[in-house]
Amino acid sequence: MALATQRVDVPVIVDESKCLEKCKACIEVCPLDVLVKNPETGKAYMKYDECWFCLPCEKECPTNAITVQIPFLLR
Amino acid sequence: MAHTDLDPEVVQLVEMLQSQDLNDRLVAAKSLQHLGDEDTIDALILCLNDESARVQEIAVTALWEMANPVVVPPLLDCLSSAHEPEVREEALSALKELVAPDDLLKLLDVIQVEDVNVQLNVLILLRKIHDAQALPYIMPFFESENPVLREASIVTLRYLNQVVRCEPALALAKDANEEVRRAAILTLGHLSDEAVVPMLCDAIANDPDWQVRRNSAQSLDLHATAEATAALTAAMADDHWQVRKFTARALQKVATDETIPALIKALSDEYSDVRRDSAIALGNLGNPEVLPALQQTLDDPDRDVQIFSQRAIKKIQDKLAETSNA
Repeated sequence: MALATQRVDVPVIVDESKCLEKCKACIEVCPLDVLVKNPETGKAYMKYDECWFCLPCEKECPTNAITVQIPFLLR
Repeated sequence: MAHTDLDPEVVQLVEMLQSQDLNDRLVAAKSLQHLGDEDTIDALILCLNDESARVQEIAVTALWEMANPVVVPPLLDCLSSAHEPEVREEALSALKELVAPDDLLKLLDVIQVEDVNVQLNVLILLRKIHDAQALPYIMPFFESENPVLREASIVTLRYLNQVVRCEPALALAKDANEEVRRAAILTLGHLSDEAVVPMLCDAIANDPDWQVRRNSAQSLDLHATAEATAALTAAMADDHWQVRKFTARALQKVATDETIPALIKALSDEYSDVRRDSAIALGNLGNPEVLPALQQTLDDPDRDVQIFSQRAIKKIQDKLAETSNA
């Protein structure tokens, strides 16, 4: 899988101000394992630019910190 | 609280549920939801009274996913106005799946609590159990001052399979609130009190709300009684197409020769659904006098109407052939 070089361009956007350091809910539910924690900040981010737009990460986030940007043609 | 039998990781999460820090409680509740360990049910039930609505909501979801019958009473407590709307909504969704006929007495106890949200949600839950024992507890809501409760109670009555007569419910067909009337009229389709059909005939002719008139046609379709034929024939001239459509459907069972002019007129209705259902009604009637009118609809712009007109013509011709052979 391609590494996501630009974190603003990926479909899964994490609001770092809301993301909880101890929480791993989104990482656990992602079927592609593309979400990881940044070891420095403890916040989740999308490491690999691959997404099925299945949305459990957005739904499971206890603080609603995740937004999945679904491409127009998939809406 | 002792958690000696639990996995150390789970024990840590259960202790986190008591943390002063909201973020810790959120993480713990979400992690326990994902673990789905039934030994944590008691801890999650305590979370239902957490000061954060989000923690409460996650706890409700976690208990829902465990689907253990012991969570029904604590989830019923979450239906009260003391909880935020999103928590109540989640608890209602959970209970819709979890309540079983054995929970009827619990629901009937809870419905007597003076709380609109509890009463409304329990009325909804009683629809799943559909036991006639609930009737005496539902009937007081027919006279409630709150139209939402009146509507919910009359809808619930429709789900009580064994109930075929309920005179106190009839008054709601004349309720001041149109949403209550819409629900009440649909419920009358399932009741067999003597006054029901005359009330439905009155509603289809005189109610100012077109949805009430349409629902009356649907209910009269269920009753399928010749007593309603005159009112249904008159309703074929209704202003709203949905009323005409469902009236034509009801007439498929009870049409008489007096209905023919109204049905033939409806064959040129602006709406194809009305034309199709009228053609079916004329076919069911089996009177050969309507054949010329039906033949004119064979080139209807709607393919559906053409097909059903053709079938209606065939039905009448088959009937004619049978009588001439006999």
